[in-house]
Amino acid sequence: MKALDLLDGASAGLLGFEWLVNAVAPVSPYGARLFSELVPFRPGSEAAAESRARRVAEIADGLHPDRVAAARSLLQQLPDIVGVIARASLGEMLDDPAFLELRQFCEMLERVDASLAASALVQPIANEATRVVSEALAPGRNEAQGFYLADAFDAELAAARAAYARAQAELNAARGRENESVARELGRDEIAGNEFIVMRSELRGALPAGVRVVREAATYLFCALEYGESSRSALERREASFSRVAALEERVRLSLSTVVREHAAGLGAAAGALGDLDVTIGAVHFSQGHRCTAPVVSGEPALTFERARFLPLEAELTVAGRRYVPIDLDLRGAAVLTGPNMGGKSLALQTCGFLALCTAFGLPAPAARARVGLFDQIAWLGTGLQERTGGLLSSFARELMGLQEILARSAPRLLIFVDEFARTTTPHEGKALVVALTERLRQRNACALVATHLQGVAAAAGVAHFAVRGLKGIRTPPAARNLHEALEALAASMDYTIANVGDDDVPDADAIALAELLGLDSEFVKAAYRALSQ
Amino acid sequence: MRVGRRLLELARERRARAIFVVGTGKNVGKTTALFAIYEAACSSGLRVGLASIGPKPRLWLHPNTVFITARSLLPPSPAVEILSISGLESSSGSLLYARTAHGGLYDLAGPSSASGLRAAVEEISACSDVVLIDGAIDRVSTLASSNGAIVVSCGAAAAKTESEAVCDVANLTARLLVPAFDPHAAVLELEGALTATMAADFIAAREDRQIVVGDSTQIVMNGRSLAEALARLRIRCRRAFEVIATTVCAVAPDRSFDPATFLGAVADATKLPSFDVFAGKEVA
Repeated sequence: MKALDLLDGASAGLLGFEWLVNAVAPVSPYGARLFSELVPFRPGSEAAAESRARRVAEIADGLHPDRVAAARSLLQQLPDIVGVIARASLGEMLDDPAFLELRQFCEMLERVDASLAASALVQPIANEATRVVSEALAPGRNEAQGFYLADAFDAELAAARAAYARAQAELNAARGRENESVARELGRDEIAGNEFIVMRSELRGALPAGVRVVREAATYLFCALEYGESSRSALERREASFSRVAALEERVRLSLSTVVREHAAGLGAAAGALGDLDVTIGAVHFSQGHRCTAPVVSGEPALTFERARFLPLEAELTVAGRRYVPIDLDLRGAAVLTGPNMGGKSLALQTCGFLALCTAFGLPAPAARARVGLFDQIAWLGTGLQERTGGLLSSFARELMGLQEILARSAPRLLIFVDEFARTTTPHEGKALVVALTERLRQRNACALVATHLQGVAAAAGVAHFAVRGLKGIRTPPAARNLHEALEALAASMDYTIANVGDDDVPDADAIALAELLGLDSEFVKAAYRALSQ
Repeated sequence: MRVGRRLLELARERRARAIFVVGTGKNVGKTTALFAIYEAACSSGLRVGLASIGPKPRLWLHPNTVFITARSLLPPSPAVEILSISGLESSSGSLLYARTAHGGLYDLAGPSSASGLRAAVEEISACSDVVLIDGAIDRVSTLASSNGAIVVSCGAAAAKTESEAVCDVANLTARLLVPAFDPHAAVLELEGALTATMAADFIAAREDRQIVVGDSTQIVMNGRSLAEALARLRIRCRRAFEVIATTVCAVAPDRSFDPATFLGAVADATKLPSFDVFAGKEVA
């Protein structure tokens, strides 16, 4: 999947793009080729994006996950025959490993089709060409499920091979007789191999006929056993019979290669369809594994969802044995999001972005219900980005440069997440900047969620105001013994609900209560409360 | 054939299903020794498998031999039964497993990594009675977890003098013959290699526990350091090797040793059955 200019690298990282790519990746080389060229749907392609997501979701609903897993396992084992098809198309004679791969490909297609037959939405991949090629190569199947250019391929092959085996036996016998004769004359049990050592001390008289001295040393002769007349003529007969076998084997390969060439178009079509299927099944696997639903793809710059999840974090929490709380939101145009620290504001932004990415690639989204628009650009500004970058600019300067880049691109339909923008300057000027930015986004008709702790931004910018409800009156935190327990207590006490609060009251940040919960000493906490009351 | 038969017998006595032929250097008769065992195994009616590290010169293989080779090295004729295309790679390209249907000349090629070789030996073992591996000493750890035996080849090609050749093979076999550790005695386990410097430190510290390495390829020293370390320390392995014999090759392109004295000296130094495949001799 290519993000192209839909989102920059840093935003992609924060919104879990790579996680998503890995989660929906196909498993065969056919799927991988197609997958690497997938680009996001752009505004105007809402019907196509929705149709793809709906098809994936319907297949996911109609197929048992075991069948999907079985199909993926088969797809993973498929040999890549694209090169073989190309070689055959050019009239090349294929070799035996290529025939094995072709036969495995054709046979496995049938098995893939069988495993997915339960879904009426999945068209079979096997076609006339794959069936003809499979049949043509069937005599080559051996007990190991491999391939052998068997006698059954050509009526003359068996006889030629039998003649070759006889000729080889005759040669072995002739050579064996010569070997035995030389060994006897040398007074030895045997001569091992064509080259051997004769110790001078053991040599009685001259070397036997047929023994050639390769090298002489003071105590021994290094010798070779020459071919005698009978073994030479046996060798000639063996070579002649070998040539006959080689010619017939080539004839079989040519004939099989012709069958493949004649059906190259059909095989290519099957390979192409297989790529499409693999990509679809990858998405189905994702959808089933994460309980996704097909979004309604809206023509508006909006994001409306119920019980949505940011899957990369959900996966992390699952591993840690912790619970993930899904969220609901109805975001139309620009809006401000306020709420306590650790209340999930950033996560709400990430969840919106993740759903927008799923929708952009025609995938079901991890939500009970979702209505999502398509965008030309998805961007992130503020917290999170600077940790991923570095350089000579201050964090404030980097934020401003980032903003300038986003505004300069003038994407017709922009989805932007702003997380505590301008928090590193004075609250007074920072608020002015956030208000100005929110106003600009509203005027541009961007879909934007601006998370901030600053008061009065939504009213000043004339946009909707959402708030995370926050800690449920917690003022006396439980005695947590470690961070894990503290986080558990926090999760139990936090109401992550996002509500459209309408007015501009920013709820408490609960920062002091959280400091206490996370283990800061009581004197420090008391001092903070004192300062707050003054 | 007699020498090959004896080597095979020695391996079979130890119930070895894999025989790894390693050498002290190049051109020391490794492939000749391997082929002698191969001929003996085929004539005994065993289903033989062949594996190699890297490409090997073309060999005449009998019908029903399972081997690993590169796809690009497979001759068109006589056609072989292709058992499977492996996911392994070699310097000659992707590798496959094949079984000869007829006698013919075939190239062997194998994976260069120890893990690749281990996978290849396991695959070939599944359809063979015995697997013969033309190996390299740094890949012999492949055998550590399997039921395998080692034959060590030495020869005039790898040393300037006979005594140097004898010393080299004695060192190598002494290293390979390091026994398994005693789990009931005190041990000092090493995660990595045992070097000469570490051994000197242990000797100075009068270390009397068993010093345990993974296998003897992790003992990285030679000559006097090795002899001293083996004499003064209790060096042991988690996985010991079974070294069954040595073979000698007295002939090299630019020098030769006296075959009889060389064979005798190797047998004496290694205390292992030693064979000269070219002369058809054995010193037990």
